[in-house]
Amino acid sequence: MKPGKFTYHAPENLHAANQLLAELGDDAKIIAGGQSLIPVMNLRLAQPDHLIDINGISELAGIHQENGLFTLGCLTRHADVETSPLLMDKFPLLPAAAKRIGHLAIRNRGTIGGSLCNADPAAEWPLIAILLDAHLSIQSSGGERHTPAKEFIQSVYTVDLGADEILTTVAFPPLARGEGWAVNQICRRTGDFALVSVAVTLKLDRQGHIERLRLCLGSMDVTPFRLIDVEQAARGKIPDKAWIHEMAGIAFDAGSPESDMHASAQYRREMAAHLTSEVLTEALGRCRAGT
Amino acid sequence: MLNKTAFSSIGKRQPRSEDYRLLTGRGRYIDDIDISGALHACFVRSPYAHARILSIDGADAEDLPGVVGVFTGNDLSQWTTKLRMAPPIEGVKPLEMTTLPIDKVLFHGDLVACIVAEDRYLAEDAMELVDIDYEPLPPITDMFKALEDDSFLIDETLGTNLISQQSFATPDVHRIMSNGDKVIESTFSEHRQTHLPIETRGIIAQWDAGCEHLTVHVGNQATHPYRSALAARLRISESQLTVISPDVGGGFGQKIALYREELTVAALARYLNQPVRWREDRMENLMAASHAREDWVRTRTVVEADGRLKAMSLEIVEDFGGYCFYPANYLARVIAMILSGPYKLQHYAYDVKVVLTNKCGNGPMRAPMAITSWIMDGTIDNIARELGMDPVEVRRINMIREDEFPYQMATGETLEDINPFETMEKGLALIGYEKLRKQQKADQEQGIYRGIGICNVVESTTYGSKFYKSAGIPGSGHEAAWVRVEPSGAIIASVGISATGQGYETAFAQTVAEGLGVNAEDVSVQLGNTDVAPYGMGSRGARGGTAGGGTAYLAGQDAQKKVLAIAAKMLGLNTDEQLSMKGGKVWRRLDEDWSDTKLTLADVARIAYLDPTNLPQGMEPGIQIHKTYDPPSMTYSNSTHFCQVVVDVKTGAVCIERYLIVENCGTVINPLIVEGQQHGATIMGLSGTLFEQVIYDENGQNLTGSLADYLIPTATEVPDLEIVHMNTANKRTPAGIKGMAEGGVMGAIGALSNSVSDALLPFGIVIDKHPISPNVLRTLLREKE
Ligand SMILES: Cc1cc2nc3c(=O)[nH]c(=O)nc-3n(C[C@H](O)[C@H](O)[C@H](O)COP(=O)(O)OP(=O)(O)OC[C@H]3O[C@@H](n4cnc5c(N)ncnc54)[C@H](O)[C@@H]3O)c2cc1C
Repeated sequence: MKPGKFTYHAPENLHAANQLLAELGDDAKIIAGGQSLIPVMNLRLAQPDHLIDINGISELAGIHQENGLFTLGCLTRHADVETSPLLMDKFPLLPAAAKRIGHLAIRNRGTIGGSLCNADPAAEWPLIAILLDAHLSIQSSGGERHTPAKEFIQSVYTVDLGADEILTTVAFPPLARGEGWAVNQICRRTGDFALVSVAVTLKLDRQGHIERLRLCLGSMDVTPFRLIDVEQAARGKIPDKAWIHEMAGIAFDAGSPESDMHASAQYRREMAAHLTSEVLTEALGRCRAGT
Repeated sequence: MLNKTAFSSIGKRQPRSEDYRLLTGRGRYIDDIDISGALHACFVRSPYAHARILSIDGADAEDLPGVVGVFTGNDLSQWTTKLRMAPPIEGVKPLEMTTLPIDKVLFHGDLVACIVAEDRYLAEDAMELVDIDYEPLPPITDMFKALEDDSFLIDETLGTNLISQQSFATPDVHRIMSNGDKVIESTFSEHRQTHLPIETRGIIAQWDAGCEHLTVHVGNQATHPYRSALAARLRISESQLTVISPDVGGGFGQKIALYREELTVAALARYLNQPVRWREDRMENLMAASHAREDWVRTRTVVEADGRLKAMSLEIVEDFGGYCFYPANYLARVIAMILSGPYKLQHYAYDVKVVLTNKCGNGPMRAPMAITSWIMDGTIDNIARELGMDPVEVRRINMIREDEFPYQMATGETLEDINPFETMEKGLALIGYEKLRKQQKADQEQGIYRGIGICNVVESTTYGSKFYKSAGIPGSGHEAAWVRVEPSGAIIASVGISATGQGYETAFAQTVAEGLGVNAEDVSVQLGNTDVAPYGMGSRGARGGTAGGGTAYLAGQDAQKKVLAIAAKMLGLNTDEQLSMKGGKVWRRLDEDWSDTKLTLADVARIAYLDPTNLPQGMEPGIQIHKTYDPPSMTYSNSTHFCQVVVDVKTGAVCIERYLIVENCGTVINPLIVEGQQHGATIMGLSGTLFEQVIYDENGQNLTGSLADYLIPTATEVPDLEIVHMNTANKRTPAGIKGMAEGGVMGAIGALSNSVSDALLPFGIVIDKHPISPNVLRTLLREKE
C-alpha cells in the first residue's frame, strides 16, 4: 500500500497552480486535504504523475459573509466550518453538517472543496450544497466561471471540472428568517459515511402553511438529489402528521438506491422514509421555535 | 469468596510498568527497529480464489533499478522444507504445504511470489510488472457444497474436503434421544472474522554469515515454539537462531504460527546475505493473515417437563479455509468437549466436521471456543420458549450446585472451584430481574422492544499438557521461568511467554515479588527473546496468569528459600524456619511478632556471589533459579453476563442499555490488568456479534479488504461495562490463580444474541446468525410485518 512515483509541486498562488494544471493536464492532480486522494493513491487506484499541493495558497481558505452570501474558500477544513463562530451564529446548518463528517482527524484536514470535487454520493457537502443551491466558482488559466452545485456534481465521483480547472469558492445563500432546517443520517458507526442521509429546510407562512420546502436525499442515487416536484406541490399545505407520513412514503420511492454489503436497497428506502419523517419533524420544531 | 491469604504484591492495583514507554511513544515495535541496509520484501498475491499457476515471469520486474529479485515457490523450496501437518490424531487428515505455492493458489490473496527491493515503494512498483499466467479453477466458497461428493477438491491427494471429523457418544444418548420425546432443535452460526491486531504482521531477518547465525525480530506470542519451527524449516539448528519479539501491537492468536511470508523473508535474508524486512499492510492483514470462526452448529435436545436436560447432541461444521497452520481439529473440538459448561448433562454426543474451502486459513482467535456459551445458553432459551418457562428457571434447574463439585462432564472433563449458580443469582439480584421483566411487558405495549440476555460462561483456561493429550492436540502446556538475584540485589526474571500488550511485565513482576518477598517495582521482567527467556509455550489459551504467573511465582519462592538459608547462616541461626522475606528484607519471627533483621536482599546476594566460602555447607554460589511447571489439565473460570438491549424495530439498531458481568477468575494478580482484559474481551465479543465480518462473494473474492468495510467499533459504539467479582481460588494452582481474558468474548456473544432474541420474541424472531446488523434485523422484521 504505497503510492506510485509522482512529482510534487507546491505553487504559491492560484495563478501558478492554474498554469501548472494547464501544462501538465491529465497527468496532474490537485491535492487538498488528501483524505480521499491519498487512500486511492496508496491502493494505486489513482497514479497521478504530478501532485499539485494547493494547501499553501492562502487566498483559497477562509469563511466570509459577503453580498448576502456565505462564501467558503475551497480549502476551508470541515473542522473550520464546525467551529466557526460566524457560522454557528448565523448559519448553524453548516456546522451541524460538518460535524457529521468522519472523525476529528479527518475533519482537521479534509476540505469542502475536496469533498465537492470528490462527489461521493454519501458525502455531506454534496448533499448540503445541492440542498441549499450553493454556487461554485471555478478558476482556470482562461478565467473564472460559476456553476450551481446541482450541475457541478454529475455522478458518482464525477464532476464538471476541466483538467486545468480549480474549484475556488463555495457560496451558500442564507436561510430565510424563521426558516427551519434539519440534517440526519444513518451510519453503521459514528463517523462512517452515511448509508442514507436526508437534509431539509422548511419555511412556513404566518398561517402555518408551507411557503418553501427543500428536501434532499443522499446515498439514494448516483448523486444527492432534491425532490423538486414534491417541494413545489408542498407549497400552501399544512405540515401535519399525515403530510409528514405522505412525505416519508414519497422518500421511500425516490431515487434508485443500490445494495451493498452494509445495506440493501430496500433498507435504504426504509431509512430514507424514516429519516424524512425525522428531519421534517425536527425542522418544524425549529420553524415554530423561530417564529 | 477468596480465602484471605496474606498476599502483598498479588492483588495490588499496580499501574502497568510498560505503559510509560508505550504511552510516551518510546515503544519499540518492528518498524521502530532500524537496521541499516535492510532490503524490503513485498508479496505478489493471487487475484483468484482458486487457480493453477501456469507461469511466473519476473524479468521485467527484476530489470527495474533497485529491485534485487523476484522469488517463487520453486526458489524457496531449495532453501526451506515443506510444512507437513500430520498430527497423530484420529480423524485428522495429513496436509502438506510448500513455503510459497508452486502450482496452485487456494484463496484470494494467497501468495504467488516475493519481491525484494531497496525499499517498499520500489517493491510495489515491481509488483505491477510481474507477469503471471493463471488458469482459474472453480472456487469452493460454501463449506456444505465442499462436502458434496462431486465437489471440486482443495487438495486432490486427500480425495475429500473433509479435513477432520471426530465424534463421541455416551452409551445411552442415542437411545434416550429416540425415545419419542420431543426433540428441541437449535441452530447457531458464526460468520468469518479476523483478529485485526492494530500492528499487522512484520519481520526483520538478519543473517550473520561469520557466526552462521540468524536473528529475527518478529511480533510473536510464542517465541520458542516459533524458533523450533523456523529452525526446522530452514534446516538450521535451534542454536543458530535467535527470535526476538519486541513490543507487539496485539496478537489475539494471529501471531502464534510461523507464517509463509515470515519463513520466506528469513530464507531470503540468509540466501542474499543481507537483512530483509517485511511489514504487512492492512489489506494483506485483513485478507491473508489468518481468519477465524465461520461455523454452523446444531443442538438437538430432549428435556423433562420441568426443563431438565435429559440428553443432547451437537453437530459442528467449521469452514477452515484453504490452509492448515494448526491441526484442523484444534478449534472446534474444544467447543464439543466443554459444551455443557455449568449445566448437568450426562447423556451427550457430538460430531465435529472441519472443511477446507478457498478462503484464507483459520487460526485460533481470542476464545477459539467462543461460541460455546452461546450454543448452550441459546439452547436453554429455546427450551424455555418451547416449554413456556422463564429462561432463568431452566438455567436454575439444570445448574451444577456448590455441593456437586467437582463435577465430571460427560466428556470426562472435571469442573471444580467454580460458582456459576452464585454468579448468576448475584447478577439477577443486581439487575432486578423480576422488576425488569414487568417493565419489559409494559414497554412492549408502547412499542419499545427491550430484551434481557443471560449467558453463563465456563471458561476453559490454561490448558495443561494433560488436556492437550486428551483432546488429541499435539503440544505441551508447561511453562518455564527463571529468577536471578544479581550481586547488587537487582532482581531479573523471565518467563517463556511473550507479550502482545497484556501487561505481562507488570503481572509477572508481581508474582515473582510475591514469591521472593520483594516489591514488584524492584523486579525487572525480560520477555520475548529466545536467548534470554527459557523455553516456554508462549501466550495463548488464557495461560498467562496460571502458567506464566504461576511458574514465576514458584521460581520466586525457590529464590526466597535460598536467600533465607543464606540469611540464617549470616544471622548465626541453625534454621531458617522463623525467617521470611518481605519488601526486600529478611524478617524474623519471635513468638507471634515479626522483626526486621536489618539484612537486605543485597546483603545476602553479595555473600552468595562474592563471598561463597561463607555460604552454608555444600551450597552452590549465586542466586539463580530455573523452574518449569505443568499446570493442571484445565483451570476453569466462570462468569455470568447480562445484556439489556432495546431494539429499534424501525431502523434495526440495537442499543445496549446495560451490561453487567459477575465474574470468578480466581486469584487476581492485578485488578487493573484483569479489568482491562475483561473490557477488551467483552467488547471483542460484542464487536464480532454486531460489526466484524469477512465477506467473500460467490467467486471467492474477498470484499472486506479495508477498514471501511471490515467494521470494528470505536469508543462511541461500546457500552459501559459493570463488573462484579465473586472470585474463588483454584486449589490446585500456585497462589490459586486461574486464567481469564477469553471468557468475556464467550459471554458477550451469548448475552447479546440472547437479549436480541428476547427483545424480538413478540415477532417470533430468534437470532441464530451474526452479525446482528441493522440491515439484517430489518430483513428479519420485514418478513414478519
Ligand atoms: C476514514 C474517513 C472517513 C470519512 N468519512 C466521511 C464522511 O462521513 N462524510 C464525508 O462527507 N466525507 C468523509 N470522508 C471524506 C473526507 O470528507 C474528505 O476530506 C473529502 O472527501 C475530500 O476532501 P480533501 O480535502 O481531503 O480532498 P483530497 O483528498 O485532497 O482530494 C479529493 C479529490 O478532489 C480533488 N480536489 C481537491 N480540491 C480541489 C479543488 N479545490 N479543485 C479541484 N479539485 C480538487 C483532488 O484532486 C481529488 O481528486 C472520510 C474520509 C476518511 C478517510
